[in-house]
Amino acid sequence: MIEVQGLTKRYFDREVVRSVSFFVPEGEVLGFLGPNGAGKTTTMRMICAFLPPTAGTVKVAGLDLAQDPLGVRSRIGYLPEHVALYPEMRVEEFLRFRAAIEGVPAKEVPERLAYVVERCMLGDVQRQVIGTLSKGYRQRVGLAAALIHRPPVLILDEPTVGLDPRQIVKIRELIVELGRDHTVILSTHILPEVEQVCQRVLIIDDGRIVADGTPDALRTGFSGLAAVTVELEGADGAAASEILGRIAGVEKVDVLPDGRLQLAVRDGKAVRREVFRAAVERGWEVLELSQSVPSLEDVFLRLTTREEAVAETTAEVSHA
Amino acid sequence: MRKLAAIVKRELIAYFSSPLAYVVLTAFLFVNGFVFWLIVAYLNDPRTRAMAPLRLLFGGTMYFWLLLLFVVPVITMRLLAEERRSGTLELLLTAPVTEGQVVLGKFLAAWVFYLFLWLPTLVYVGVLASYASIDWGPVAAGYLGIALLGLLFASVGVFTSALAKNQIVAAIFAFAALVVVFSVGLVENLVTNPALKNALAYMNLWDHMDDFAKGLVDTRRLVYPLSLTGLFLFLSVKALEAVKGR
Repeated sequence: MIEVQGLTKRYFDREVVRSVSFFVPEGEVLGFLGPNGAGKTTTMRMICAFLPPTAGTVKVAGLDLAQDPLGVRSRIGYLPEHVALYPEMRVEEFLRFRAAIEGVPAKEVPERLAYVVERCMLGDVQRQVIGTLSKGYRQRVGLAAALIHRPPVLILDEPTVGLDPRQIVKIRELIVELGRDHTVILSTHILPEVEQVCQRVLIIDDGRIVADGTPDALRTGFSGLAAVTVELEGADGAAASEILGRIAGVEKVDVLPDGRLQLAVRDGKAVRREVFRAAVERGWEVLELSQSVPSLEDVFLRLTTREEAVAETTAEVSHA
Repeated sequence: MRKLAAIVKRELIAYFSSPLAYVVLTAFLFVNGFVFWLIVAYLNDPRTRAMAPLRLLFGGTMYFWLLLLFVVPVITMRLLAEERRSGTLELLLTAPVTEGQVVLGKFLAAWVFYLFLWLPTLVYVGVLASYASIDWGPVAAGYLGIALLGLLFASVGVFTSALAKNQIVAAIFAFAALVVVFSVGLVENLVTNPALKNALAYMNLWDHMDDFAKGLVDTRRLVYPLSLTGLFLFLSVKALEAVKGR
């Protein structure tokens, strides 16, 4: 449904988006994940035919962006990061305006209007002036405007930013529902959002795609090492760590302050089997043998944190 | 066509739901009313030479030009600058409308609002008609001249509004640009080189308006403002394409 090839945006000598390529099949909800300034918004703006790309091609629903930018625009419903609406207009007035410039046939407008108002739960503010609405309602008006022309593709730039927790839950539920009838690209820097909403994730950093896969695959496949924690009774810490360190797949053994051992491992399942065997052979009793898969957060940090920024980022995370 | 109409309509809603529109309307009526009174008082003096009062009202006094030079930038300053500042431009230009449609729609809305400002001056015509016989030809031509000037001035205002992100800056640029557009023809009176004098006479907006107010509709006087309007609208589209993402 969306085909991006070598998409690049350069401002003077600074490359904001560097040769980004990806494909989104029909009906998929794709998450763009990346730190602020990674190039997510610029990429989305180029796909929506707002910014002209420096290089690369984009195809949406079979239409080429360079040849038919208006055709591409009419097939995309776009919710920008800062949903800016005309404050002096009434909600209904605004949606009618959007319907007209999106080219919705006049006959279909009442039906589309009723649909988006119902879908985005705007019934009680329909006659209200947009300037007086809360942020959550404005976000929903923006989403209604993006849906009014029945676009096959929805592009949502940080749709939950600045909302309160209850509104966030509602918007996410709505996006999941919309994902059934639309192909969706959603950008965010909130990780749980990706896990809840998206079937696939692209991690973007410094204008490049650094990872591409399902949230699960990213967690296990790209993370490198998993951690296995072992608690043994009847074993001497130093000797045990010596023996366990020899098991294939164990990269490193740490003795935790409470006497438990933590192994950094490549293949958790095989290692745990071996650890159990070794304990049985030596008559140690296993009190704990558990594996923790790194969270998407770890993956994200590992992929998007450059060496010099490591200390700063971890400080920020632990502070948060 | 429907998209263009929607943009014009939205812009008119914006005009009439902002206090600025009513401030401009009031100020415009106040100044024009004062000028009209001044003209009638002046012509009532038996020592003055007889003249058509509407000829004076339509461009015959400095007040007319001062008002236009100030009022048009205030009408047009918001059009594109505010869309860019607030970020609504992004939503507008990700809908299937071209930059040309956006520029044209906003320009037409500003022009319609400008014509609306002049609407109440029909009362003056009515007042004059009830006291004396009126030659309707020059009146119609005068309004045609005003409409043409509106096209030209509004296109300049749209252009500066595309360049500036700040409304006030857009208004000041528009004022400066309009002073140039207005004054360039007046230099006619200062030069002696006949070719240059001719060229400048072609651009003399004061004479242009005076011709219309006299009831003289010369095609040259139509072509000049219309072609200049086209040029500024073209530049506005180019400017919008260049600045939209920044």
